[in-house]
Amino acid sequence: MATTEPQTENPGRARILERLRTALRESTPRPLGAEGRSIFAPVTDVMARFQKECAANITECIATPDMQSSARAVADLLAALPPGEIFVQDSQALRRLAPEWQATRSIQWSSEGGPKESAQATITSAEALVALTGSVLVSAACGGRGASVVAPVHIVMATADQLVPDLDAAFELMRERNTVFQYSYVCLITGSSRTADIEKILVMGAHGPIRLIVVLALHHD
Amino acid sequence: MSHAAHEFLRSAAEKSADLAHRQIIRRGIDSYNAANVRGRSRFLDWEAARLRCQEIKWEAVNNLDRYLLEFEQRVKDRGGHVFWAENSEEARQYITDLATARGVRKVVKSKSMVSEEIHLGPALEKMGIKVVETDLGEYIVQLREEPPYHIVTPAMHLNRTQIADLFKEKLGDVDTDDPQQLVAAARRALRRDFFSAEMGISGANFLVADAGMIALTTNEGNGRLCTSVPRIHVVLSGIEKVIPRLQDLATLWPVLATAGTGQPITCYSTLAGGPRQPNEVDGPEEFHVVLVDNGRSELLANVEEREVLHCIRCGACINACPVFRTVGGHSYGTTYMGPIGSVLTPRLRGLDEFQHLSYASSLCGACTDVCPVRINLHHHLLHNRRDAVNASDRPWSERIGFMLWRWAVEDARRFRAAGWLARLGMRVVHRLRLDGTLLDPARPWNKNHAAPPAPAKSFRALWGKRNGNN
Repeated sequence: MATTEPQTENPGRARILERLRTALRESTPRPLGAEGRSIFAPVTDVMARFQKECAANITECIATPDMQSSARAVADLLAALPPGEIFVQDSQALRRLAPEWQATRSIQWSSEGGPKESAQATITSAEALVALTGSVLVSAACGGRGASVVAPVHIVMATADQLVPDLDAAFELMRERNTVFQYSYVCLITGSSRTADIEKILVMGAHGPIRLIVVLALHHD
Repeated sequence: MSHAAHEFLRSAAEKSADLAHRQIIRRGIDSYNAANVRGRSRFLDWEAARLRCQEIKWEAVNNLDRYLLEFEQRVKDRGGHVFWAENSEEARQYITDLATARGVRKVVKSKSMVSEEIHLGPALEKMGIKVVETDLGEYIVQLREEPPYHIVTPAMHLNRTQIADLFKEKLGDVDTDDPQQLVAAARRALRRDFFSAEMGISGANFLVADAGMIALTTNEGNGRLCTSVPRIHVVLSGIEKVIPRLQDLATLWPVLATAGTGQPITCYSTLAGGPRQPNEVDGPEEFHVVLVDNGRSELLANVEEREVLHCIRCGACINACPVFRTVGGHSYGTTYMGPIGSVLTPRLRGLDEFQHLSYASSLCGACTDVCPVRINLHHHLLHNRRDAVNASDRPWSERIGFMLWRWAVEDARRFRAAGWLARLGMRVVHRLRLDGTLLDPARPWNKNHAAPPAPAKSFRALWGKRNGNN
């Protein structure tokens, strides 16, 4: 493989910037804007809203009392899947729960590389859960890029304290954690992969997971 | 008449008479409309959302140089490369050079209208590189060797039977017209491509300046595979796609999804900003962003037209357009179809050759009403008409006609007389059954329409009578 650095320096860059600057010497009036108007109704009960939105966007949401119960719920889910390896994000929390699954499944940990195409399911954590849209926010820290898209089933293990009301709050959280400067990839996942490209008929599982399952523990322990 | 104009009229006449085609499109648009109405009702204040998006794009476009430089710096900080292309050729050259240098043999693509605009696919294939479109709709039109029919739903013009026949012919292992199974067949075929391609090419819905990341909106997950699995990720984007802040996506993402498909938000709203970092599990080894000008900076310099650069390519104006619904997406013969295409294409590719598109509109303003960033689309169509007329020599018949018109409307008595003459003319033409023939001055309209009966009295006379009676 060639390793030469690509040539991005070109006279075009300076010429484009010059044209932009010349063009912008003349300004256009600032539009009205939406100062002081609320675009979405505020989310009051984050848990109820999250569950309602999951039902609407076809995310399976399983509420459990604690993480240990979540692990058992995941074991039940895995039991119903075809045989084969599963992929799990390598984190302290998930390592602790893994014995529940290792009896029946061999595990590929994210520290050993991205998920194989043959993985039956991937299990990861999330950065946050967004109530307004029933979405799961993941970053490259949640087992990598492939962890949430390669396998037919993606299982997210989360806790109720990860719920945030809306997208504004999710971006605020990312700002506090410096997420986009630590990682190269972030995805807000809302439901499982789908397409309506044939006669606008909804079909699940186009290229990504056919099932997205959020196992949501009300408490850590 | 330009070649493009001639082709447009020919294809438009053919398509508007194709009733099967019109039924497929009507069904597609009806289903979009129902979803879109539901989607908008989820907002507390949809108009406020439009105002906010307009403001965000205004700020971005009116500080374009600053935000592009900020975006570039942050991408470089993560080890990515940014190339600025003045035109299609430079953009193509950069990508084909890169592909050659890295020994690329297969490219997987997620949807990018800019790649259509710069004709990237044919350039790569000429070098022996296999290019696979991975958005299902794009994949279908690629198998049919057609351009996309619609920027959001590229295969909108096909029904399941046509797609089933296509898959049977091209993929072999399918014999069903069940959408579920057709999608499964495409998934199987495309999985092989995702995992054997060396390069993934994606577009960008937004370039987020303060994060140095591209925002990519997909439902299928093909965009995520294109940007995660191959060794090299190349982003192709127009320079106008930049937005100032990550926080802006809190409004733009739901608005784009609602305007595009009626969804509250799309399945995968992805941010990618570089190659795999040292602390990461996977991802491409190289990350390149190609920023394409290709006429956009000239549009920026035109203060009256500048807001056309606010477009977020949601397709709402296309769905709302009665002309699109009748003539279909392929008749335009352009990368961008419908109202936004009719506004943009003459500006990017020449007012002279594409001025006819400014007339592919009833000026009903439905496009302006639905535009989520509040672009005054039908007014821009009028501007294009004006500029095209001012820039070219008009036929003498048109000039004399308008001179007469002007002379007639400048004086009330002359206007009355002209009206009387026109009504008389209509009656005579109709009485002699000359409607729509070469002798009919209203031929362009009447040849395709049953002529309405000529009114006996003028509007002024009717109005006067009505007021007299009251």
